[in-house]
Amino acid sequence: MKILVCLKQVIDYQVRVQVNPDATGVVTDGVKMSINPFDEIALEEALRLREAGKATEVVAVSIGNASVKTQLRTGLAMGADRALHILSETAIDPLTAARVLLKIVEHEAPGLVIMGKQAIDDDCNQTGQMLAALWDRPQATFASELLVDGQTARVTREVDAGLETIEVDLPAVVTTDLRLNTPRFVKLPDIMKAKRKPLDESPIDSYGIEAANAAQALNYAQPPERKKGVMVDSISELVEAMKQRGVL
Amino acid sequence: MSPLNDSILPRFESMGARNDADSLDKYGRDHSSFSMPDPLAVVFPRNTEDVVELVQYAREHGIALVPSGGRTGLSGGAVASHQELVVSFEKMNKIIDFDPLAPAITVEAGVITATVQDYARDQGLFFPVDYASSGSSQVGGNVATNAGGIKVLRYGLTRDWVLGMTVVTGQGEVLKLNNALVKNATGLDLRHLMIGSEGTLGLITEVTLGLTSPPPQQAVMVLGCPDMDQVMALFARARNQLTLSAYEFFSDKALQHVLDGGQSQPPFDERTPYYALIEFDCTDDSDQDRALAVFSNSLEAGEVVDGVISQSDSQAAELWTLREHISERISHLLPHKNDIAVRVARLPEFLKKLDALLHEHYPQFEVIWFGHIGDGNLHLNILKPADWSIEAFKQETASINAHVYGLVKEYAGSISAEHGLGLLKRDHLSDSRSEAEIQLMRQIRLLFDPDGILNPGKMLPDPI
Repeated sequence: MKILVCLKQVIDYQVRVQVNPDATGVVTDGVKMSINPFDEIALEEALRLREAGKATEVVAVSIGNASVKTQLRTGLAMGADRALHILSETAIDPLTAARVLLKIVEHEAPGLVIMGKQAIDDDCNQTGQMLAALWDRPQATFASELLVDGQTARVTREVDAGLETIEVDLPAVVTTDLRLNTPRFVKLPDIMKAKRKPLDESPIDSYGIEAANAAQALNYAQPPERKKGVMVDSISELVEAMKQRGVL
Repeated sequence: MSPLNDSILPRFESMGARNDADSLDKYGRDHSSFSMPDPLAVVFPRNTEDVVELVQYAREHGIALVPSGGRTGLSGGAVASHQELVVSFEKMNKIIDFDPLAPAITVEAGVITATVQDYARDQGLFFPVDYASSGSSQVGGNVATNAGGIKVLRYGLTRDWVLGMTVVTGQGEVLKLNNALVKNATGLDLRHLMIGSEGTLGLITEVTLGLTSPPPQQAVMVLGCPDMDQVMALFARARNQLTLSAYEFFSDKALQHVLDGGQSQPPFDERTPYYALIEFDCTDDSDQDRALAVFSNSLEAGEVVDGVISQSDSQAAELWTLREHISERISHLLPHKNDIAVRVARLPEFLKKLDALLHEHYPQFEVIWFGHIGDGNLHLNILKPADWSIEAFKQETASINAHVYGLVKEYAGSISAEHGLGLLKRDHLSDSRSEAEIQLMRQIRLLFDPDGILNPGKMLPDPI
């Protein structure tokens, strides 16, 4: 079985994101970019399935400008067998991403598509669901456990009420939650090996799809500063303060 | 309650004076858990004038003052165990001034290190003094102990970033030292006497710290080495080929304690006796290629066995935890902590002798090695065996000290590289400094604090 893993380039989780001066976006110049952490978990899970003999090939795909090759190289160094770079100079929305991924799925015919439940930049949480709908295949979102057995996958999902376990027929789309696994570190020898792994590039319009973004961002602003907390010296002061605010 | 104590509380009510058992216990100790705290009371001055008032009161009544910051010290420098009045700088936590041109920041002594770091970052600048406890340590304490940490290799010590300070001497005089000048060739620079004086010359109330531009993007490698010689050989190679901001090491036993915490994964499957953590400038592929070259050359030379490199800042932070969580993970085992240093060039030989010494005399103890090896600083932690009483272990560590410090002396090293002397190390001062030096230190202390009210019993050994 082949597994397709989607890797999105995002601003590193540790970076303090700054709004640019004209409020049209966030500062990305000189800012560390990384694989979306949920997607990194998706790749780790795919690699573990391959290592357990449940999959034979792991293909990483990313849509974006030339710089996303860095994240694809990281994916190859982690252990993906090959990578696909869909070149798009402009940012695209989840539906466009799902359409592109559908084309790739039709061509690659994977048994499983794994991606993060959402990307930490726009927090859309849509691409996996949209791909499953367009592909007309089952979806198992927010996975915290994934067991593949023959032509089915048993997936434990993190839902509001707790954990839900479902079984889906393969091929299917699985989106990952944080607790699924802890991604491995990249070994230095594997970075060297990754340079020799295939990384194919094709422009987004070669799939007959226009790089579109249906949503238009009107304004960006820093979140309002949180009010500083007040330290109280005793329980009675705390009770008094809560009474004053009408909490008690 | 003593009559004196009775009068302190109302006298310093405006400074939040208190003497309840919890406060005395909390503010009477630092991170060294060496002596039982027993302070008279705790006060929280709000400005330099308050501190002057406290000093004058202490002189009049013959009370000793113990300055207290984030209480993260490891040598007992902030411990109050003899009915001292603890002067906590907690309430002096304001940023007073920011000078973008210098660039520099002036803060009250109780401002937390991480607050300075965050403030600098928000201005697009960088305050480089950093260590595991920067989230609770305070600027005044950093200066009083000349704190070092993980970036010393590149950015130096706290001393290198202090542009000026306000300090109250033991006579209640307010000194404004150096006025944040970069150049000031007007006689003895008293600022540098205050830095590292552990609260024995004056109480630091305000500090001006220099800031700098942030470094370029960093990456972290953790490489496995077969022995300490190779850790040092790798250092020479890495220092040559890369722009380093940190070169740390830890032993596999140290790593195991971190992994036992259950929050970290090992860097790679194969375990090696030692690990080097290297942080370096890595902005593009060519930087990463140079790191790869260092790795493959050191692999060929037998210096390393395996290694990983961070692919994101999050991974870099995760790799750092392998080094930074060691202290915390072993603290419940009551380690006997040594913070020693020798010149880097002499380290390989020194380490060999130290290892042999510990093997020969103390095979019964688990020894945890880690430290800022790139600047010659070694944190040697010897763990108390579970079935040993604290008393028996303490007695044995006295003999370990004699052995280890003897070797440090032979190599002209330091018995306290960055933790200060406090109560724990003061009696060993003569292993690092000459009698003539110690005598001068005593005289200087008398000049600043003739009544001996400032942190008495700390830093200097009792006169014979």
